[in-house]
Amino acid sequence: MVRENLCVLLAGFSSRDEVVMNDLQWIQSAKKGDEDAYAELVRRHSAGLHRAVARILADDTEAWDVVQMAFLKAWQKLDRYDSRYSFTTWLYRIGTNLAIDLLRSRTSRERAHKAGTEHRLRLVGNGEGAGLRAESQEADGILRQLVGVLTPQQRSAFVLREMEGLETAEVADVLGCSATTVRNHIFQARKALRRELKARFPEYLPVSERG
Amino acid sequence: MNCGVFREMIGSYVDETLEEESRLWFRSHLRECQTCREAALREEPSLLFAAAPETPTEPESIEACAAAVTARIRQDRLEHHLHRRRRPWMAAAAATIMVVGGGLAWRVTIGGGEGNLPPAIEISRDLEAQTSPPTVEVEMNGEDVRVYQFATDGDSDTAVYFIVDPALEL
Repeated sequence: MVRENLCVLLAGFSSRDEVVMNDLQWIQSAKKGDEDAYAELVRRHSAGLHRAVARILADDTEAWDVVQMAFLKAWQKLDRYDSRYSFTTWLYRIGTNLAIDLLRSRTSRERAHKAGTEHRLRLVGNGEGAGLRAESQEADGILRQLVGVLTPQQRSAFVLREMEGLETAEVADVLGCSATTVRNHIFQARKALRRELKARFPEYLPVSERG
Repeated sequence: MNCGVFREMIGSYVDETLEEESRLWFRSHLRECQTCREAALREEPSLLFAAAPETPTEPESIEACAAAVTARIRQDRLEHHLHRRRRPWMAAAAATIMVVGGGLAWRVTIGGGEGNLPPAIEISRDLEAQTSPPTVEVEMNGEDVRVYQFATDGDSDTAVYFIVDPALEL
């Protein structure tokens, strides 16, 4: 059993390394001004970045704007990119910072209105992947309604670590803080979300705790 | 056996004390095993968010994003190119205005003229119109109006391209 799990983990790492290798080739071409090579990088990374930013902002549409802005900013600063570090982490850093700036510029009233409206209007849809979408959207829909209680930093740390599965060190790089601070953000976020779930979604609590 | 190990790990996962490899396995099992997921949610409701599967993104959205980014890069490059070509014209126009305006102001103040400032402005406007090539205003999609300047007749290196949307014909 342990060996099987190890194989799964090793397979995960090798595929990730391969992505990094290919990224470097595209980045080298993009640095020389090749827009098509850069478009390939956008195709590879936009889905992941969008998913993270949409969860931080609680807004799918606005997240695409932020993703585009992040890629444009990355293009303008491509000369400064240090290939010893992961392109994904560098890109997430740009995208997350833009999302945090946007969150700070919103008023709390706008946030509450938007979160409530979006959840009610969201459709699961039919066809391929609808089951996965339904499960994911259930969690995303609840998160949309609860993230208002978190600070932008707590939101970002929780989404990147808990939902996107980044390592603590990667989240620290993205947010420009220490690993201890990341753990603290996640601890506070989990505490606040547990409290809000209890108050607003008691069906997710054990029967003994529903009150 | 997997499930037993998983349940023992719940507390360590929540406390952020698991090694990264164990953490990856925990997350994967949380998504795959419904019985363990229910047990984990009973113990820690906030694991609901870690259990959410990755939603596939529509390929059309990814392609639209790549196209938008590339178009913007090309637009910026074109604007930068045009801005560089326009710079000598702007400097020449500014110099002409300064020379003519300064000369007339000198005549008014030192030469004892009778306050010819309004005509001086007209003259500088005429000169500017003669020296500057025409401009065109382009209304961008959802953005401000951008102003572009044509090159002169003698500037054969510069080409101006327009992309026309037939659906927008008046």
